[in-house]
Amino acid sequence: MANTAVATGASTRPNYGSMSRDRTWALRWSYFFLVLFAIFFLMPPIYMLITSLKTSAEISAAKNPWWISNPTLQNYIELLTQNQFLVFFRNSAIVSICVVIITMLISVIAAFALARMKFWGSATLATGVFLTYLIPETLLFIPLFKMFAWVNEVFGVQLMNHWWTMIILYPTLTVPFATWIMIGYFASIPKELDEAALIDGATWMQTLTKIFIPVALPGIIAATIFTFTVSWAQFLYPLAFTTSTSELVLPVGIVTTLIKGDVFNWGQIMTGALLGAAPPLIIYAFLMDYYIAGLTAGATKG
Amino acid sequence: MGSNKVNRRRFVAGTAAASAAFVAAPFVRGAYAAGKLSVGFWDHWVPGANKATEALVKEWADKEKVEVSMDFITSQGNKLLLTTAAESTAKSGHDVLAFSTWLPSRYADQLVPMNDVVEPLIKANGPVNGTVEYLGKVGGKWLAVPATSGSQIKGPCSRIDLLKKHAGIDIQAMYPAGAPPKADGWNLDTFLKAAEACQKGGNPFGLGLGATSDSVDTAGALFHAFGAQLVNEKGDITVKSDPVRQALDYYKKLMAFLPPDVPSWDDASNNKFLVSGQGSLIMNPPSAWAVAKRDAPQIAEQLWTHGFPAGPKGRYAPFLPFFWGTWNFSKNQSAAKSLVTHLSQASSAEKMVIASGGYDLPAFANLTTFKVWAEEGPPKGTLYHYPNPHNHQTLSIAAAPAPHKIAEQIYTQAIQTQMVVRFAKGEAMDKTLDWAAKELEGFSRN
Amino acid sequence: MADIAARNPAVVTGDRRSSLHKLMQRKSTIAFLMALPLILLLAILVAYPAGFAVYLATLNKGMTRFVGFGNFEFLFGRDTFWLVVYQSCLFAITAVIFKAIIGFVVAHFVHNIPSKGQRKWRGMLLVPWVIPPAMSTLAWLWLFDPSYSALNWILAHFGIGNVPWTGEAGWARFSVILVNVWIGSPFFMIMYLAALKSVPEQLYEAASIDGATWWQRIWYVTLPMMRNIIAITALFSLIVTFANFDIVRVLTAGGPLNSTHIFGTWAFRVGIEGGDIPLGAAVSLFMVPILAVAATFILRDITKRGSEV
Repeated sequence: MANTAVATGASTRPNYGSMSRDRTWALRWSYFFLVLFAIFFLMPPIYMLITSLKTSAEISAAKNPWWISNPTLQNYIELLTQNQFLVFFRNSAIVSICVVIITMLISVIAAFALARMKFWGSATLATGVFLTYLIPETLLFIPLFKMFAWVNEVFGVQLMNHWWTMIILYPTLTVPFATWIMIGYFASIPKELDEAALIDGATWMQTLTKIFIPVALPGIIAATIFTFTVSWAQFLYPLAFTTSTSELVLPVGIVTTLIKGDVFNWGQIMTGALLGAAPPLIIYAFLMDYYIAGLTAGATKG
Repeated sequence: MGSNKVNRRRFVAGTAAASAAFVAAPFVRGAYAAGKLSVGFWDHWVPGANKATEALVKEWADKEKVEVSMDFITSQGNKLLLTTAAESTAKSGHDVLAFSTWLPSRYADQLVPMNDVVEPLIKANGPVNGTVEYLGKVGGKWLAVPATSGSQIKGPCSRIDLLKKHAGIDIQAMYPAGAPPKADGWNLDTFLKAAEACQKGGNPFGLGLGATSDSVDTAGALFHAFGAQLVNEKGDITVKSDPVRQALDYYKKLMAFLPPDVPSWDDASNNKFLVSGQGSLIMNPPSAWAVAKRDAPQIAEQLWTHGFPAGPKGRYAPFLPFFWGTWNFSKNQSAAKSLVTHLSQASSAEKMVIASGGYDLPAFANLTTFKVWAEEGPPKGTLYHYPNPHNHQTLSIAAAPAPHKIAEQIYTQAIQTQMVVRFAKGEAMDKTLDWAAKELEGFSRN
Repeated sequence: MADIAARNPAVVTGDRRSSLHKLMQRKSTIAFLMALPLILLLAILVAYPAGFAVYLATLNKGMTRFVGFGNFEFLFGRDTFWLVVYQSCLFAITAVIFKAIIGFVVAHFVHNIPSKGQRKWRGMLLVPWVIPPAMSTLAWLWLFDPSYSALNWILAHFGIGNVPWTGEAGWARFSVILVNVWIGSPFFMIMYLAALKSVPEQLYEAASIDGATWWQRIWYVTLPMMRNIIAITALFSLIVTFANFDIVRVLTAGGPLNSTHIFGTWAFRVGIEGGDIPLGAAVSLFMVPILAVAATFILRDITKRGSEV
């Protein structure tokens, strides 16, 4: 909206020579620096791609690292036919999808309760949810490590070294943020809407599903994408709590199994890293505007 | 529910009977037919080396009718260490697990003594070296069985051509294939001169000074060569002593001829340095050579694995053993012992050595002369001296003979390489020693 | 913000029809039930472990004995611990400042160009934020590799010798901060861009009529309008950077000479790899005071804006 204002402002402004020349130069400089920054921002992923298309002999030869003399898809073929890598991928996919579902169920319902219905301590809870977002997982993994051992002793349930444990753990990282986004969206919906529905005899649940969810759909999509990205990228919890190769998720699997202490195969490591980065990148490519809406939700609404 | 209970009781009785039978006759086979066994091995760095282990386990599993699940766990990023810590805390995990260097002693209280496995093996295959005994046997108990897979000597691996060209050293004449070494002149002074010459020639030695095991092992062996101990076997801090000062002085001179980024090297950096053609010598088991054979054959042809230079207190080489152990909470200890026994036979050991291209090193004295080491190439005989066949050097581990709890911390926190880097970067000797003494005090905490 | 939202409907609807009134009485129970999964999740997996960490930090290494502040006393005597405190603060503050500056500058440039091209640029510039940090750090690790560094290869063409990116304490810290900035500044960029678009164009026009230079426009118009966003984004980023784990873990694992360890990685080293769980818990608890300060600031900001609404 604001940018259309800029654009129209520029075109309708009469052509005093200096003013428009200033603008042209400002524009040129802007493009120049944007290109510089784009190089800086895109260099690592591009280098990943370049390396992933090389054979290990070419990498060892240490010639021009930015040029591929014998492009090959061998790394991709090897990795994608390797059972282990597909297991990582499957684990990551199941975990991320489950976490997204759980997170959205918990946070949409709770956000509705917090934004629209009052109960004893709801204000404190809303603040509390926000505060838990500030507690990093680096603070929690050591007590969790010990808690899991205790759960195993008392209940006989082994939480250590299972990929599905991540389905329990990741929502602690995603739910606060998703709830926060949703509270913001719900708060922006006019109150007359749900009052009218309630007077017409709708239940709270119906109000939520028939009115709030459809209206807040962009927010829900944004929160979903965000949740997916966070659970796909999570590194510390799986590193601390899973060990067997059949239980690893993608980022940890790539870092720990493709890098083998003494022997290095950077072509495959970069291929793995690129494939690991692919799902969020693809989702992002299609749903960029929702993603950005999710990121800036706090900024524009809160 | 009821029948379930009966089953469990019967099962418990069964295992009790099995273990009773086991006590009476340790190697009665077939007593654990109902069993399942999970095994966690070290994930081998040499491509394809896991296959031999897999085949051996399968052979045993078929014979004993035991269902075995295998995990190969990398030690990269301390993943194996982490697994061990997690299993020890959770009191559940693999029935047989590969324990790296210091872990048998760290988890001494939770491991099943293996004397009944190790003692017959020593009888059959000859004694083990002092380092293996220091690490694996505590208070008369073998805490775990010395493993073939992953055990290694990290001796020098040099470029034949570059040593000749820059330093005038014919390393093949010093360490001829198939014959005892003629390396009396190969001492720390020669080593330093060669390092200087190679650095001037543009192909420096690549001795890591980071915090991972390759770097720590090298520093440990050179410290031993000066008789430098940070903590003695009684647990007294002896870091402020002349041998330690000498070792630091030597290292400072040496470091001037090493690449500037050695303090950040990990276990892969030295290999890359050699394989890329930049370096003339690194301290590593033959995995670097194996990678060179795959990716840079012209460099592999010029590589020669040989012995360490001698210092004033002797010639030491780092030996890094792996062990196979069993937790005392394992449900199937008798089967675990049987599997480990199977894996430790001379024929099994030879299969692992061959599959790893000569990398793996059995701990028992009679098993260091397999044909594979003499035959591997090119160049032929490059691995002949790798297993120390002529007992030319003392096999050692950094931080020995300090008490295990302290030694482990010295090793994992890389105190020796940190001291070297601090001192070589210009810190005063006394300050470095003070720093080390303070860290060491912290390690005796319990 | 949230509490306002929760309060208002009740106030408005309180004096409506009696059927609605009955509904209201049941409402709090329903609402509580709806929020219950959230409460349980956070209580069991966040609040309880956080409290448990405090308890763990008071035990001895074998977790058999209560030692009170013993672990903290031990930590205070360690040089490495103070090094970690210093580095955590240094990394977080430096990285956030650079993220903020780069984000601000890039947002301005994107805002400057015609709107139909903006979407494309915005999309490209946000890529570092989308890639999982552990994966992109691997790419950086490979760019920094001592023997094969592609960055040094470029620098060599400008006559600059080998840079020990992760090899020397100073450079290693620089590299860790660089990667942090690379990953984090797109987030700032996108937040600032949203904020820039909400600054009314008339303000700029008024300023330029008054003859303000571009610098004055930024200083007197843009910055004051964006104050809140800048503060909140910076505080959030401060927490995330402060508690970072994967970047340091993958890039340097804390080396060389512990010169890049921060709270998260050192707690991992001490607590899980070193087998001293209580000491590890004590280390990570040291993040709390700093997080608390940040939280206070953010909360103050939120309640302030809440009352403005």
